[in-house]
Amino acid sequence: MDTIHACFKDKIGEVLLPGDVFSFRLPESGDGSIKTDKIICGPGLRRNGEEVQVCKSGILRHKQPNMYWIDSQQRRYVPAKGESVIGIVTAKSGDIFKVDVGGSEQASLSYLAFEGATKRNRPNVQVGDLVYGQFTIANKDMEPELVCIDSCGRANGMGVFGADGLLFKLSLGLVRRLLAPQSEIVKDLEKIFPFELVVGMNGRVWVKAKTVQQTLIVTNLLESCENMTSQQRQTLFKRVAEGSL
Amino acid sequence: MMAHVFVCDGIALTTVARQQHILITGWAAEVVRFPVFCVIHALYCCSISLNTHRNLLEISHKICVRIHLHLESRSERLCSTEDCIPGTGTYLRHGYIFASLTGYVLRKNEGEELPVISVVRETETQLLPDVGAIVTCKVTSINPRFAKVHILYVGSTPLKDRFRGTIRKEDVRATEKDKVETYKSFRPGDIVLAKVISLGDVQSNYLLTTAENELGVVVAHSEAGAQMVPISWCEMQCPRTHAKEFRKVARVQPEYLQA
Repeated sequence: MDTIHACFKDKIGEVLLPGDVFSFRLPESGDGSIKTDKIICGPGLRRNGEEVQVCKSGILRHKQPNMYWIDSQQRRYVPAKGESVIGIVTAKSGDIFKVDVGGSEQASLSYLAFEGATKRNRPNVQVGDLVYGQFTIANKDMEPELVCIDSCGRANGMGVFGADGLLFKLSLGLVRRLLAPQSEIVKDLEKIFPFELVVGMNGRVWVKAKTVQQTLIVTNLLESCENMTSQQRQTLFKRVAEGSL
Repeated sequence: MMAHVFVCDGIALTTVARQQHILITGWAAEVVRFPVFCVIHALYCCSISLNTHRNLLEISHKICVRIHLHLESRSERLCSTEDCIPGTGTYLRHGYIFASLTGYVLRKNEGEELPVISVVRETETQLLPDVGAIVTCKVTSINPRFAKVHILYVGSTPLKDRFRGTIRKEDVRATEKDKVETYKSFRPGDIVLAKVISLGDVQSNYLLTTAENELGVVVAHSEAGAQMVPISWCEMQCPRTHAKEFRKVARVQPEYLQA
């Protein structure tokens, strides 16, 4: 048990590259009791027989009691089931809309997958609209499918949005930080001025503030947060808040 | 506007000039123009083996279509009905048996009173999947509603051409048909044992079903690339990563398993 955790503990917080291997040879001790320990391999780690291999480059992270994963930077989005994303409607064909979500294929969105939509009461969705929806089917073998209602049939914040405002793209790591429950970046931004924010897990963010200038300021601040430490970020936000007042 | 009647190998091709035309090459070493509409009508009426031989008739929406008619100049009279019983590749007219295909004449004594005479194109017969036959196929693409497959073997004989088949979502399992998810039953690249339920028409493929215990996925590879081992009727496990994946697994009879 010690050997397995010890291998990992050395490397927590270190940058690992694909191809790095953790191999476990349980010592051939005649004690009889081999303590089998469970380790959960998260994204970026894969088991290969008796070894654990790293498949993505990034920093090894650990969560108690036994979860390990690789925190990697990525800009390209791969659709996964259950994730909420911002999509752009590109085509209407028959009963479905084709939505661009930034993946390798366009997702399909049925017109019945909106709150209060029936065969007679079609939703008001045009080509070019922004939609916020969740994936019901998303794997590498099939075309992904989006819905704008949850399992109870309510919209729950999903659907068409975005009469004004600005849509831009961020890296996936930054988007995950924005969506964390107590996100510091969002809290700091709120103090500057009020604005509306929609964040999709595919790296797309939509912002709307009172004036165009304020919208652009928020956009630039978010894009610059990518590579800053929290100290640098707070000094920058303070400067902007003072400058705009 | 002229009507032409051609008799070749006992197939009467009537034609009337229409808007669309197709070119038939290889008939009597000449290129002749025939309108699409009437040729199809005539072939359908005569209902000879051309209907089931998919590779013989390829109708496309383009102008040029090649119909592979293996033709002799005239259809050959083989013998009279009193000598033999007509088999595949032959037909009966006016008390005589004629050949409808070019090929070799086979006379088989089947133990009945008269031998069966048939004409085959090649020495080995092309075995076609028939309704109720067990076929081995490979999944090429999946869809929430159905899975497309290529049929490789009929029974235990390999096919020279790959026929296409479809397994609909409701034909995957016998129970709980509406709760079937194609992604949890098949993946592209799986080898599946299925049964033919319908031959389909010209445009559609063979319709297959796996709604039995002995039918379903036989060989599947995991996302890591290793061949998976079945652990239940709905799950398979990869020996390398120990990850479980969902498939509709076939219960192969022990006598068919090779160590």
